Amino acid sequence: MGRIVLENVVKRFDETEVIPPLDLTIEEGEFAVFVGPSGCGKSTLLRLIAGLEDATAGRVLIDGEDVTEVSPSKRGLAMVFQSYALYPHMTVRKNIAFPMRMAGMSEAEQNERITAAAKSLNLTDYLDRKPGQLSGGQRQRVAIGRAIVREPEAFLFDEPLSNLDAALRVGMRLEISEMHKRLQTTMIYVTHDQVEAMTMADKIVVLQAGVIEQVGSPLELYKTPRNVFVAGFIGSPKMNLLSGVEAAEYDADTIGIRPEHIDISMKSKKGSWEGTVGVAEHLGSDTFIHIHGIPGCDPMTVRAGGDIEVKHGDKIYLSPQAEHIHKFSEDGLRIP
Amino acid sequence: MSSRTLPRLLQTPAVIMLLIWMLIPLGMTLYFSFIRYVLNSLRRPEWTTPSFTNWRGFGNYEFVMNSKDFLFAIQNSLFIVGSILFLTVILGVLIAVLINKAFPGQGLVRVMLISPFFIMPAVNAVLWINMILDPVLGLNGLAVEGINNIIASMHDAPLVGWFFSLWPKIDPISFRATQTSAYAVIIMVTWQWTPFAVLIFMTSLQSEDEQQKEAAILDGAGKWSQFRFLTLPHLGRPIAIVVMIQAIFHLSLYAEIEIVSRGNGNKNLPYLIGEFANNNIGAASATGIFAVILANIIAIFLLRMVGKTLME
Ligand SMILES: Nc1ncnc2c1ncn2[C@@H]1O[C@H](COP(=O)(O)OP(=O)(O)O)[C@@H](O)[C@H]1O
Ligand SMILES: [Mg+2]
Repeated sequence: MGRIVLENVVKRFDETEVIPPLDLTIEEGEFAVFVGPSGCGKSTLLRLIAGLEDATAGRVLIDGEDVTEVSPSKRGLAMVFQSYALYPHMTVRKNIAFPMRMAGMSEAEQNERITAAAKSLNLTDYLDRKPGQLSGGQRQRVAIGRAIVREPEAFLFDEPLSNLDAALRVGMRLEISEMHKRLQTTMIYVTHDQVEAMTMADKIVVLQAGVIEQVGSPLELYKTPRNVFVAGFIGSPKMNLLSGVEAAEYDADTIGIRPEHIDISMKSKKGSWEGTVGVAEHLGSDTFIHIHGIPGCDPMTVRAGGDIEVKHGDKIYLSPQAEHIHKFSEDGLRIP
Repeated sequence: MSSRTLPRLLQTPAVIMLLIWMLIPLGMTLYFSFIRYVLNSLRRPEWTTPSFTNWRGFGNYEFVMNSKDFLFAIQNSLFIVGSILFLTVILGVLIAVLINKAFPGQGLVRVMLISPFFIMPAVNAVLWINMILDPVLGLNGLAVEGINNIIASMHDAPLVGWFFSLWPKIDPISFRATQTSAYAVIIMVTWQWTPFAVLIFMTSLQSEDEQQKEAAILDGAGKWSQFRFLTLPHLGRPIAIVVMIQAIFHLSLYAEIEIVSRGNGNKNLPYLIGEFANNNIGAASATGIFAVILANIIAIFLLRMVGKTLME
């Protein structure tokens, strides 16, 4: 249950085509993440699946059944919004009960599910509060609780953690991942944050301007980005991209090398690039060094060990690990 | 000078102004309500000048309470105000929800909807009672006559003519009559004040959260459930405000009552005050004090209610 297929789906708002024809399959039980820069059509795609937007053309299938014309509530999907979208006049208990009440479920069954959901989400003490009396993280948990009790075919999340502070975000990320492992239900998760995508996804769908740039597991995208956009988008810190003479040496239009695949030394070596240290960010476990003066890429970022002693203005020599160099042709595609 | 003295000092003139504004009329009303004071008396000319020597104690109050219209006026005040509140809130919510959806000519419709609010109460009353509710010349009379004519013309129709000839001629309702004059006032004030409710509710509807609605749609809520569980609670606060402002305003209705039937079958406390004030200022003042007490009871009651909604 919960296999979602998009066939040739198109979405236009008046004249602007937000989603050009697009095909995508999300397998049953999969955790799929749509990731891409802001405004690329992730939310629109999710809303098309939910039925909150009508597809201009194409079909949406859930478990093989064409639901393109089916109303949102009949699709068996639950959605969690960035703004939580809780009902402000109802208590937490009533909020969570709302979908069950709309479905005409018995009082006893409702209470049972509310108790279970509240327990798993640490909300038991807050059931009689109103959303306005909760913190952001608690509100998001209530929204998730409201989704869980429906026992949907699939969960849809639209940037659910964007309104939370960084520390809470990491915690909630884990909770949602654990929930997925426990429930084994299909989840589609929209985010603009590639770290969230990498840490949570079984399958990442990278979008740009409504077009799918690449679909694959986090490691696939990391190891073999299909084009320059994916290469630059996935991975933190970003991959260094060089064009011009340095790239021509490798018979490519652009080459990319990740910060963690560059060896550094304080002495000149054969084939190495020479630069000066701009800023060194000491994180303890790692040091990110931003280096100026390398042609075609300024600054170049390098990841080094935590106890390296470098400071602003130091001369430094970089040698990329040859087996980790990504080569891209003129049209931005990967050269194998 | 401590840091609070200067602000206090600067506030003083305004506070004194307000006190004078409130206390002098209230004090004079209280004073007059405890003395014998009439505008005209051949028998007791000394009563025509207000003075403590004409002290009457609670006599004026007793007189007012025993006058035949007093209880009726209070009851009628509450009836009129309650009916207007009920109708304006329901119509206001319905119209606001209807015109909140985008449609062509929306701007024009909104302006026209607000326009009754800018008509003077007396003009409003004259227009309604003469041009719409009048049983002969008004729309009321014309409509009833039209219906009667249609029925009369059906009397000669083949086959069904006998059926229509059984129908009686309908008489138009006269809204100046003892039994109906209160309804006339309720209708015209409702017409005038519904726009106010619509305006406030419309503003509130525009701040309704779209995502909440979408969440409700996904949760399986139909149009009615969305209205019942999202829109209506969202409107709770504006409804409380509309009720409160209107209650205070409509307790002092006067022009409409005067114009519709000169108080025939339809009095409220202000109108009673007006009647007493033709001669008996003492009784008018005592009625005024009753009106103040009634308004305060209602205001406290409403403030509680509004306060509760505001707290949530
Ligand atoms: N209702 C709408 N009407 C017109 N344009 C819209 C509407 N909703 C979204 N868009 C446009 O579609 C594009 C994609 O929006 P969205 O899916 O919200 O992006 P994302 O969620 O990836 O940030 C944006 O350029 C946005 O301006
Ligand atoms: Mg979005």
